[in-house]
Formats: sequence, C-alpha cells, structure tokens
Amino acid sequence: MIGFVILAIIALGGGIGVIVARQPVHSALFLIMNILALAIFYILLSAEFLAAAQVIVYAGAIMVLFLFVVTLLTAGKDDREPKENLAGQRLTAGILAVLVGGGLAVVGVLYPSRAIGLGLPHNFGNLRGMGVTLWGPDFIYLAAVALMLLTAAVGVLVLNRPRRQVKPAPRLEERES
Amino acid sequence: MIPLNWIVGLGAALFAIGAVGVMVRKNPLIMFMAAEMMWNAAALVFVAYARSFHAMSGQVMAFIIIGTAAAEVGIGLAIIVSVYHHRHRLDIDEVSQLKG
Repeated sequence: MIGFVILAIIALGGGIGVIVARQPVHSALFLIMNILALAIFYILLSAEFLAAAQVIVYAGAIMVLFLFVVTLLTAGKDDREPKENLAGQRLTAGILAVLVGGGLAVVGVLYPSRAIGLGLPHNFGNLRGMGVTLWGPDFIYLAAVALMLLTAAVGVLVLNRPRRQVKPAPRLEERES
Repeated sequence: MIPLNWIVGLGAALFAIGAVGVMVRKNPLIMFMAAEMMWNAAALVFVAYARSFHAMSGQVMAFIIIGTAAAEVGIGLAIIVSVYHHRHRLDIDEVSQLKG
C-alpha cells in the first residue's frame, strides 16, 4: 500500500507538472516521469510486456519525437501563454473537470468490484501470453494496429510532401498576343 | 496486492488532470501531451481490470492504446509543424477556422 501511495504521488505530480509547466520542454520531462510511474504500475499489475512497451514506445519513441518538435518550434522564443479570448473559459473548464474527475474517483474508490481469486493463469501478461493472445483469438486487433500505423506513416508523408510551386497557366490570349 | 478501486480512482484523477490541461492551455504541444496523459489513464484502468478479472483482453486493449498513441503523435505533430510553418505562432486559436 505504501508503494502504491508513493507511485500515485509520482504519477499525479507528473501529471500536474505537465499542465502547469511554463515551457513545453518541462512539460515533456514531467510527462516522462508520469509515464515511468505508470510503467511500474503495469509491472505491479503483472503486465510485464506492456510495461516494456510503455517504456520503449512512450518514453522512448513518442517523447523523443515530442522533444524534437519542441526544440524545432520553440527554441529561443518567449514561451508566455497567449492571452485567453473567451472570458471565464479557464475557470469553468477547471471547475467542471475537477467535478467530473473527483466524482469518478470517488465512485471508483467507494464501490470496489468483486475480486477474483489470487491465482493467476499461466503466462499472464508476459511476452508469451501476449503473443499467444495477439496471434490467436485477438488477431484482428493486431491487424488493426498494424493497418493504423501504416496509415499514419503514409499520412505523415502526405502532410509533409514538398509543395510544388504552382505556376498559373498562361492564358490563351496572352500566348497569342 | 494493490486494491483495484484505488487504481481506478488514480486513473480517474489522471484523466481529469489531462482534461484540464487540454481545456486550459493554449500551446498545442502541451495540449497534446495532456491528451497523451488521458490515453494513459484509460490504459492504466484497462490493465487494472485485466489483472482483476484474469482476462488478457484488457491488456490487448492497452496494447491498442499504445499503438494508437504512436500513430496519433506522428500525425498530430506533423499537423502542428505544418500549421506553424504557415502562421509562425504556437497558439491553438490560430487553427480555429478550417481555412488555409
């Protein structure tokens, strides 16, 4: 239980740090802290493969991509927050989100679900278990993720294609004159 | 073992923090990171229920979430960089209209 409290404090602190940090670089580092805390949660919940995937994919690939873009776009700029145009939007959003999140948390804590016995199935959550599940009964999800990643790669290529200079075609009269 | 309902509560709190970040901040990069945190909160709850019900399906859902987040970050950052090249400001209100 004490471990849970420490990890929860790290995760929540990282989360709050993401949204209050002034510079995007600090936000990214706080998000890495949050992600690593969640990876330790995955290990505690006997999801070893997902913990490794979380560290490799999230903390490795995704956050490095974020840091690349942050350094590309915000280096040497002033990072003050632009002024809010909608009056009272921040206050309303904060109050509503705290109400919803607090309500969900209270409901989640007050109404525990039934716990199933302690013995875990064989290969639960390790690499072999995930492989058997993903290539067996749940193959459609693996295919869906593969298709989605392929689509995203093609989409990024299309978004960043070099724009050709479009010259207006000479008009017919101009060409004749 | 950690009680399941406390982890669900933690997931709800992380989700709410991410929602506050998306609604309050105006830097598109930070909004994106807060959205990532909301994905992560959902994945945490999936994994907790998978552990509780001894079903691998929840972990498969968390796997899908990780894959989706990777695809989403690629596309989203490409869009942010593309918008920045047009407008030269990091402000989400720049893209409040769907107009080049």
